[in-house]
Amino acid sequence: MKNITVIVVFMLGFFRSNGQEVKVDVGYKYLYSNQWDKAIQMYNFSRPNLIEKQPLLIHGLHTSISSIFKSTKNVKQGLNVSYSYFRSLAENENSINLINLHFLNMGYMLHYENSEKLKGLYTDFMLSVTSSGVFRRLNEAPFIYDEIKSKAFGIGGEINVKCGYYFKLKNKAYFSPYVMCGYTPYLFSPNTEAVINQTKGLASKNWTSILTGQVGLAFHLK
Amino acid sequence: MDRRKFLKQTSLLSLGGLLIPSTFFSSCRKETLFEDINYDGKVLIIGAGAAGLYAAYILKSRGIDFQILEANTNYGGRLGRLDGFAAFPIDLGAQWLHGQNNILGDLINKSGTKITLDDSEEKYWFNNQLISTLPKDLNALFTNEENVPDVSFKDYAIAQGFGDEYKNIVENIAGDSGASASLISAYWKVQEEENWVSGDEDFKFEETYFDFIDKQIATHVKDKISLNTIVSKIDYSQNDIVITDSNNNTYTANKVIITVPISILKSTDIQFVPSLPEEKTTAFSKIGMGAGMKVFLKFTTKFFDQNIIGGAICAAYADDSIGKIQSDIILLAFIMGDQADYLTALGSDVAITNALLQELDGMYNGQASASFVSSHVENWTTKPFIKGAYSYSTIGMGYARQIASMPVDKKLYFAGEAMNLNGHHQTVFGALESGYTEVGNLLKDVKG
Repeated sequence: MKNITVIVVFMLGFFRSNGQEVKVDVGYKYLYSNQWDKAIQMYNFSRPNLIEKQPLLIHGLHTSISSIFKSTKNVKQGLNVSYSYFRSLAENENSINLINLHFLNMGYMLHYENSEKLKGLYTDFMLSVTSSGVFRRLNEAPFIYDEIKSKAFGIGGEINVKCGYYFKLKNKAYFSPYVMCGYTPYLFSPNTEAVINQTKGLASKNWTSILTGQVGLAFHLK
Repeated sequence: MDRRKFLKQTSLLSLGGLLIPSTFFSSCRKETLFEDINYDGKVLIIGAGAAGLYAAYILKSRGIDFQILEANTNYGGRLGRLDGFAAFPIDLGAQWLHGQNNILGDLINKSGTKITLDDSEEKYWFNNQLISTLPKDLNALFTNEENVPDVSFKDYAIAQGFGDEYKNIVENIAGDSGASASLISAYWKVQEEENWVSGDEDFKFEETYFDFIDKQIATHVKDKISLNTIVSKIDYSQNDIVITDSNNNTYTANKVIITVPISILKSTDIQFVPSLPEEKTTAFSKIGMGAGMKVFLKFTTKFFDQNIIGGAICAAYADDSIGKIQSDIILLAFIMGDQADYLTALGSDVAITNALLQELDGMYNGQASASFVSSHVENWTTKPFIKGAYSYSTIGMGYARQIASMPVDKKLYFAGEAMNLNGHHQTVFGALESGYTEVGNLLKDVKG
């Protein structure tokens, strides 16, 4: 955590020193992956002994940091790094099964704002490389049965569109509520079913597409 | 509109814009497959082995009417327990849990069942002496996995430099796959191992594998098992499927899940009316089922090593007391493929035992015969409702398992370890996986 804080502070300082707009946002994220749903649904279907079923991976938290390069144009370029976290927890007798899903995205963004015509409204269009990690914890300990196969990593590409509205807080500080939707057409994650349902190729494919929706608040330094 | 009002409305709109659809879509996404399917037809399951028992368990959990027909005098299929031979109960069939990342691992965890990691050490009978390390590392057999041809594992091993002096060592590796090295496809062995996600460690049950399956699965459905019911005919020509047993009793069902071993499907023991599609019977014929037996040898002294690999009569001996609470001196001879055929041809349990004792005497300077007490031979090949050890992948098999496991006419469903398509065939949890998969296919057909 300390390292992440240092990195964030460093990035903020670096971006600001170059006169760029820096944006940090936090929010709620909704996830839909057809293939990962299938793996969890098969897990629940095949284990009638579970009183509490394993929830689908749906609700999560999201945070990101963006830098928008200095420009006089309405359309500006920028970079974005984001992180999201989802979890699925089922507590049964002698079995607390937790599936953690992490996403780390890094990408290029186009930022559009036109204060004369649209007041505080802005739109971001982002293209990112997305990486994922699925890990299982059983009874509050990592479930490691194989150094490689106990974890499921994935990689793919994501498109995001974000709309928000600036409100001035103080001097160069602004905040904006925003909504965002994202689409990952292809995320190659071959071992996810092995972590979730303990099988491979039985319930789902080794890749998935993902739809996301987000709502949150962004803080800007212009 | 003032700023405060705008801010409030925008925030509410944003939040509502996402939360309302997300709540809607979340409620559409069911946690379990076929949650909304209610089936009031009757399902007959043929075979009360691991696949049949688990298919029944799933059906019961869904409130679906079912009955299990079992040819043998007891349920469990290739699982079994022998009492009285040793101080601890003996696993007559499946014995090791291969890895923890499987459906049984979850059940073990939930039930608090005691298992022990089998980390016993191996000795190799190589060039007429027992050694701890082979001159060549066996891992070299698996270093070039991407270019493995569809030839026999024996030929592949020779091509990798594991020639005649490694013959029985290679037989031991092949034996884990259920047959002789000359019959197993090297290509499919590698392909299937790529799908293996259970883990590489082996575990043993403090009681027996049979006890575990009995207490955790069979207990839920055993009241629905009809034992000594040898199915001889399955007529699926009409809407209702009519099953006839060897005593000419008939049973009627809407759907049938067939979980008998592949050896029975390859034989003419069960007549199908109409005949099964040719591509299906061809697929059955392409899946191998090797000979297999377990011989338990009881001694007064522990003269042997924990594992002895590479015998010409038996390629794999193992100390059977490892992982058990009570101690006794029992050596298991785990015999597969050609070696099992050879011993079966000897014609009697005494002859089989003597052949093994002779081999052990050669390894341990006559100590085997000197301290021998008794033996128990469990020959799975001669059991009329099993006829072998477990399925193996033959040379040129192609996608026979996929074709063999496909349902017929939305009436007949095929489960069992041989029908497992995700690399877990030959295992008990692989049989369970195929059991629940076929119940899933059945419900998918009901859903239409």
